[in-house]
Amino acid sequence: MSAITVDLRRNRLMLSYLIVAVLLVVLAVAGGLLSDRFLTWRNIGNLFQQLIVLGMVSLGQTFVVLMGGIDLAIGSLVGALTVFLANFLEWRPDLVWLALPLALVAATAVGALNGLLTVVLRVHPLIVTLGMSSIIFGATLMYRKEPGGSVPRAFADIAYAKVGGIPFSAVVLVVIFALAGLWLQRTRTGRSIYFVGGDREAARLNGLPVDRIVVLAYALSGLCAGIAAIFLTARTGVGDPRIGAALTLQSVTPVVVGGTILAGGRGGVLGTFLGVLLVTMLNSLLNFVNVSSYYQWVIQGLIIIIAVGIHTTRRR
Amino acid sequence: MSASVIELSQIEKDYPGVKPLDKVDFAVRPGEIHALLGENGAGKSTLIRVMGGVTKPNSGTMTYLGKPVSWQSPKEARAAGIHVIHQELALFPELSVAENILVDTQPRGMFGLISNRARHVRAAEILAQLGVDIPTHAKIDELPLADQQMVEIAKALVGRVRLLILDEPTAVIAGREVDLLFENMRRLRNEGVGIVYVSHRLEEIFEIADTVTILKDGQLVGTSPVSALTREEMITRMVGRRLSQIYPPRRTAPAGGPDVLTVRNLKAGPRVRDVSLNVKVGEIVGVAGMVGSGRTEVAEAIFGTRAVESGVIEFDGKPFETKLPKGSIGHGLGFLTESRKDDGLFLGLPISANIVAPDLDGITKHGLIDRKQERALAMQQIQDFSVATPSPDAKIGNLSGGNQQKVLFSRWSRIASRLLILDEPTRGVDIGAKVEIYRIVRRLADSGVGVLMISSELPEIVGLSDRVFVMAQGYVVGEIKGDALGEEAIMDLAVRSVGHREAKMDQRAEPVG
Repeated sequence: MSAITVDLRRNRLMLSYLIVAVLLVVLAVAGGLLSDRFLTWRNIGNLFQQLIVLGMVSLGQTFVVLMGGIDLAIGSLVGALTVFLANFLEWRPDLVWLALPLALVAATAVGALNGLLTVVLRVHPLIVTLGMSSIIFGATLMYRKEPGGSVPRAFADIAYAKVGGIPFSAVVLVVIFALAGLWLQRTRTGRSIYFVGGDREAARLNGLPVDRIVVLAYALSGLCAGIAAIFLTARTGVGDPRIGAALTLQSVTPVVVGGTILAGGRGGVLGTFLGVLLVTMLNSLLNFVNVSSYYQWVIQGLIIIIAVGIHTTRRR
Repeated sequence: MSASVIELSQIEKDYPGVKPLDKVDFAVRPGEIHALLGENGAGKSTLIRVMGGVTKPNSGTMTYLGKPVSWQSPKEARAAGIHVIHQELALFPELSVAENILVDTQPRGMFGLISNRARHVRAAEILAQLGVDIPTHAKIDELPLADQQMVEIAKALVGRVRLLILDEPTAVIAGREVDLLFENMRRLRNEGVGIVYVSHRLEEIFEIADTVTILKDGQLVGTSPVSALTREEMITRMVGRRLSQIYPPRRTAPAGGPDVLTVRNLKAGPRVRDVSLNVKVGEIVGVAGMVGSGRTEVAEAIFGTRAVESGVIEFDGKPFETKLPKGSIGHGLGFLTESRKDDGLFLGLPISANIVAPDLDGITKHGLIDRKQERALAMQQIQDFSVATPSPDAKIGNLSGGNQQKVLFSRWSRIASRLLILDEPTRGVDIGAKVEIYRIVRRLADSGVGVLMISSELPEIVGLSDRVFVMAQGYVVGEIKGDALGEEAIMDLAVRSVGHREAKMDQRAEPVG
């Protein structure tokens, strides 16, 4: 008896992957049928170039969700970082080597602060990160109300550079995802993220450094937002405080589409990666057939609700 | 037998690959306490769900108060007078007693608005009917568990209850609280209510039940008056094989080795006022006492999850002070907690991850977890502790309570090379798994591990322990060993000492500093 149920449950994550993979193929075929330019190398290259921003913020979100939290400050943080980068580089275009590490450190610090606040104040992460998001957004607007700044050519290149015909940013993304997957599955700290997400009290009684793991997950989310901001700034060439507004919700979509459970403890980065591909391809397809971005918002909302709905009903 | 409150005939329930109920007949007469016995997975819960309208059977008939019925929903069954009290109480902890009792039928006052006064009056009436004195304004989470359970029963009395089903109501209460529950069950029985009672504690069946039905693997083993069966016969029928002995043989000679754990005058919060005890190498030491006497808190203080105010904890003869479980684990100390679902297991994770959780270092090579070693280790542990599972990758939430508990034993046995603290090690576990767990505990002790076992089940304390400390209100009130070790001696100490200690407390209330 248990053999049957267990096998089904074990493969549940695989099933999620399979569903997403099938949907990807369906989208690709549909795209090819609707437009003869959709399945060209040029468009596929474009598509891969777009992956990095959504990919990085979704990866950050994956760490936090697996650990049993949620990070709603991602969007504002990315927006703030693009403003910092574009304005800093307009002032001193020669200091790219300093600007990038500074952005990453600041991003990680903000993430860690989110984690610390949830640990120390024991306030629900939804509130902590939502509050943090508001603080960051407001502070950024005090500094710059409109998009502005500029970036040197050399910096802009990292968004468009290609390695053997493949966009550099896509290579970076794949490498980071692979490392993240290895880290989660095969190291003590990575594994502990699953334990803490699975049952925080049990993790504590098993001698795991729960508070440190929590802070670490949020810090990683911040770091990922930092990387996303770097590529976003390079691509757009300006700093825009509002550019991240949509990213927070968008960062959650691939995570849940990829089968990671919002309650924490189950899922992984492979699912998120497939989810990122799916969302990106869908948006690209909608652009191709001239569906307005308003509809894309509606569709995004539908996807997230349906994905979570499917996972919860299948769990019963 | 048309006089039955409920009569189920040839009930079958099928799931793909599983048959939790296979042509089961079951009937409850008015004014009868009918015990439902069986190991976990025998089909008791499914039978309860069928009667309560939660699950629809695939075939078979159900007659309720003489009429054939087929519940479409739990609500329908409840409206007809069937009330199920599940093991996990369905109360709103933040709401008042009155609000909880009248959750379905909020009494209306003027303008059709809910009337607070009417509610409290009605709730008080119902509680008076039960003969319990619980303030209707109190919030549920301010009440002791026993009172919470009474509130659950009170909910059943709002309408006219004909059939009351209690699923392991005594799993979380003990002593006088159980007496109060039984008193009320008898009262309801005398009023003609049919009662179905599920419990793993056979002693209770003999004390309270009139009739017993035993299920095994979804099939009916038999129904008979309780007085017609002995304890041994019940167990044999439930398990399907004869249990020569429930408890493994005790140590032949009393442990004479050194103390692995010595606790002297420990004080840690309001529930640990003055505790001294010791555990020798290879010894099983029981800790008995009422729920709330401070037993769990002592364990927490030793393990490092509860702050110690004063006193000495010595481990292997050396002073031991840790504020973190990690430190204790490093010293070879393990703690199998009371509630495996809340703070023991990672329910969503596979068995292998659950086994290695406190010791990831042990399977890490060059900074990476060795998956092969992890799997091999898990397979070995699954075999050693005879966990029934097809694979170490199976999710632990899908195992039965007994098997989950065995996984926890396999986890902690690797860590606890010196001392293993067990808090209610067989709660919610069926008799077959209990026997296996007792053997595991003895085996660990024989390999030189000291075991400190907290339990509310006196037969278990008496049957397994080499020595027993009895606690009451935060004090160790006595130690029992050798021939004196018996249930009565323990109860006697646990109950009698309460008044005595209170007197002693008053003396201590002198200025301290």
